Amino acid sequence: MTSARPSAALQPPADTRRIGRIRSETISTAAIFALAIILILASRFVSPALGSWDQVDTIITLASFLIVVAFGQGLVILVGGLDLSIASMITLGGVLATTWNSSFGSEWVVIPAVLILCACIGALNAVGVIWLSIPPFIMTMAMGIIVASAALGYTSGTPRGASPEAFLALMKGSVGPVSAVLIFVVIFALLARALQSATAFGRRLYAVGANREAARIAGVATWRPIMAAYAISAVCAGFAGMMLVGYANGATLRMGDSYLLPSIASVVIGGSSILGGRGSFAATVGGAILLTTLGTVISALGMDQGWRTVIEGAIIVGALLLLREDLIARLRNRSAG
Amino acid sequence: MSANLDVAAANAPGSNLGIAIRRGLTDGAGVVAILYIILFALYALWDPSALTVSGVTNLSNNAAPLAIAAAGESLVVISKGFDLSVAGIVSLSNVLMATYPVEGPGGALVSLMICLGVGGAIGALNGLLVAVLRLQSIAATLGTMIMGQGLALVIMDAPGGTIADWVSYTLTDVLFGIIPISGLIMLAVVALWLVFRRTDTCMGIFAVGADETAASLSGISVVRARFTAFVGAGLLYGLAGFMLSVQTATGNPSAGTPFLMLAFAAVALGGVSLTGGRGSLVGAVIGAATLMLLQKVLFSGGVSSFYTGIFQGAVMVLAIVFGSVISRLASTGARA
Repeated sequence: MTSARPSAALQPPADTRRIGRIRSETISTAAIFALAIILILASRFVSPALGSWDQVDTIITLASFLIVVAFGQGLVILVGGLDLSIASMITLGGVLATTWNSSFGSEWVVIPAVLILCACIGALNAVGVIWLSIPPFIMTMAMGIIVASAALGYTSGTPRGASPEAFLALMKGSVGPVSAVLIFVVIFALLARALQSATAFGRRLYAVGANREAARIAGVATWRPIMAAYAISAVCAGFAGMMLVGYANGATLRMGDSYLLPSIASVVIGGSSILGGRGSFAATVGGAILLTTLGTVISALGMDQGWRTVIEGAIIVGALLLLREDLIARLRNRSAG
Repeated sequence: MSANLDVAAANAPGSNLGIAIRRGLTDGAGVVAILYIILFALYALWDPSALTVSGVTNLSNNAAPLAIAAAGESLVVISKGFDLSVAGIVSLSNVLMATYPVEGPGGALVSLMICLGVGGAIGALNGLLVAVLRLQSIAATLGTMIMGQGLALVIMDAPGGTIADWVSYTLTDVLFGIIPISGLIMLAVVALWLVFRRTDTCMGIFAVGADETAASLSGISVVRARFTAFVGAGLLYGLAGFMLSVQTATGNPSAGTPFLMLAFAAVALGGVSLTGGRGSLVGAVIGAATLMLLQKVLFSGGVSSFYTGIFQGAVMVLAIVFGSVISRLASTGARA
């Protein structure tokens, strides 16, 4: 998994790497969306009710949480880290949004307050990683344990309160025939992709992730993009927590747990390197949709949960094999002649 | 500094014990051992029964499953990988033992072989996917972990079953009235590591973890090193599942889930570098024991169960910071 960069570095001077990378990313993004679409179409064989527009709408709604969370996770992975605190941050966002909703008057005070608190906790992760040299894995895991425990203590075990109206509208409302969350996901994905791939900030993220020392020598204040990545990740998780609360109209203390591993899986299935410096958000969105589709289709199969889980694991491995870097590189070379 | 030591060790196979000891100190195994002793003193202070044979046996029985799982994880982490399949393998071994209990010492051996077989097979699958087919380890092992958990659910869809009495009584007992058997098993794993540490294959695992390109250019088979690490890890997870069943005496299809995060925490606490190439299985074992002891210390110290997580998280962070400060001091001391 580390072979790509060193071998590229060993190649003769003819520098086609940047073009090559964009092309291979485009191909892998296309491949992952194609897989998701094939899976949706194939699901018609499982049940005729599947594969309809309604089902696509449902899948996007279910995938929306994962897409938002995976954006933050992707940024942290891009700068060479890993964010294991997001499960607890999702829970924190949901719990605070419902608990404070009734006590602070306007929800337009509550929502920003929760997001700012999340950003601070994310920044704290970054402080540990950057200045105390704590491995990101441990810093964010410890933060996750701490935040989960704080949420448990704060709610005495039972979160109360209802979702802010804004998130009810976002998750349940619609604009004409299109559900509001679908529009939100499209706008979010476009903005997020632009932030990551078309701004100076985004380029600094890639630079820091590819080689922190080189980025520092090139004049990037490396702590800023790293801290921003962790803060954005925490904000995304908190936001997703509020979306979940809007969807289910209530918070639970374990609501974030089922999003941690899928958030990492979406990023990695999308072809980003877990070691940082490489990846695109478009492919991550594809990964999130693929995983969610897989979950929906498999749960429609009339099988025991055990076998459904086995198949889910097997398809993840199968998708990874299909989306392998060298296969895509071979495809690219062939198309390039 | 310690990176230099690793290179030196890799260049001279079978280099002397002194380097190994110094690496233990600078790499954090020694640091986490000190932390363990401090925590144990606190524990003994708050709960004097800790010093009795049954207190020590309890600690050892508690720590053994996670310690052995963390030992396996450390192999993969040293080779610069992540192995999530630990959760699947532990669950699978546990439900197999609870569904097919076999009595007597022969039965224990059969169960152990089944656990090792399952672990080794999934480990080999991981090795195939990561070492041979070059998938990213975290993603590939996520897939095999989910498959393992699914199979565990297929075998047993709700907690239940019982482990053979002989296994759960004898293996949680003490030998000669003083030595916990689970402790002996952990010692056996450590002893195996100390032997394995001197083989070329293990040198290969360290070299691949430190710098894959350099390792392959100097003639080390990257595929073989990675594959061995995953198979070894799988076998140890199987053993961890065996020891967990011994302790819980019942089956649970999600028994392995808590091992996922804790194994990584133990590995990191034990001074194994999560970016590969540096660390020791011994550190991971002591790290795991420390994590389990910490829970007991917090409980006996009277911390409300709502807030134990806050202390656990804080202690983990402090231990890592403390460890890196100590090892920095130790390595500057060694240089001077």
